[in-house]
Amino acid sequence: MRSESEESFVKQLKANQNIVHKICRLYTSDQDSHNDLFQEITIQLWKAFPKFRGESKFTTWAYRVGLNTAITLYRKKKRSIETTPFDTEFHRIKTDEYNFEEEEQLKLMYKAIAELNDIDKALIFLYLEDKDYTEISETLGISEVNARVKMNRIKGKLKKILNP
Amino acid sequence: MDELELLKKDWKKNDGQFKQVSENEIYGMLHKSSSSIVKWIFIISIIELLLGPLLGILLSSKEYNLMLERYHLKTVILIFSIINYTVILYFIYKFYTNYKRINATDSVNHLLKNIIDTRKTVKHYITYNLSMGVVLFFIVFGSQAIYEPKIVKLIHDIGGDSNKGYIIVFGIYFVITIVVMFFVWLFYRLIYGILLRRLKRNYNELQKIEY
Repeated sequence: MRSESEESFVKQLKANQNIVHKICRLYTSDQDSHNDLFQEITIQLWKAFPKFRGESKFTTWAYRVGLNTAITLYRKKKRSIETTPFDTEFHRIKTDEYNFEEEEQLKLMYKAIAELNDIDKALIFLYLEDKDYTEISETLGISEVNARVKMNRIKGKLKKILNP
Repeated sequence: MDELELLKKDWKKNDGQFKQVSENEIYGMLHKSSSSIVKWIFIISIIELLLGPLLGILLSSKEYNLMLERYHLKTVILIFSIINYTVILYFIYKFYTNYKRINATDSVNHLLKNIIDTRKTVKHYITYNLSMGVVLFFIVFGSQAIYEPKIVKLIHDIGGDSNKGYIIVFGIYFVITIVVMFFVWLFYRLIYGILLRRLKRNYNELQKIEY
């Protein structure tokens, strides 16, 4: 017999697993590390689940725990990750309509994002996920002003890379 | 910034791209940490078992064999070893089945039970090893007191015909046994203690979830 809370956790995680997949995509560069990180985030979410009382949405909570896990692991393995060659093939999503210029720009941007530090990655991730600054600041535990300032800096970085 | 909008659009395409993980796979991930601890218990017990004969080979010298013969212990030690290894093999088998079961488990209730079983097996294993150690010391010291001329003379020198010599010599033997067993126990506490504590932690967490 599976416990009720375990069942509810597994159901919710399964339904929202793309959040975890996307975090993995941003913080890892090959499929094996992707799977490892996915498993690690799953375990951390499960460990934290008793504290999740449904005050926030499951997704908001999953963003927070998932990103925290990714950032912590990223810091632990920083050296080895920095030397990992960036796998552009893995990071690029196949597009149906092929636009060479756009494709090149995207490639450059993904490459630039991969080189960002752990916190900046989390910021751009939440931005790409269409979160507003209130939610970004709550998820990452920084002030809203700080989130804005950081985000502008990241945008500036990306702009520089694209228009040297 | 147009480029970022472009990136956002591209990022949205992510959702359909990931290989989806099934519920069962998620259950598997949740139970992995306990199963890896039990796996380590299993591996360490095997290393320990191999260490015994290895030390036996390294330490067995002519003198050791002569000593066994002098103390009339050759057969006794042989029988003792056979029994001992049989029991230890049984424990390894138990550790292995514990490991297999924990791996195959997909419910919290069963996992809790398996964790209790594993902890019990480890405790029995340690108790068994310590008591066997005491028995072995008892056999060796007993034979020594009977067959070793130096010890026989010592006992006689201390107490003459009274029991005083025996009491003192066996008192010393007793202290030696206690001290050695204490260190063996410490050693077990160290290697299995860490693993057992982690299991216990997992257990407590799982239990919180259960109720």
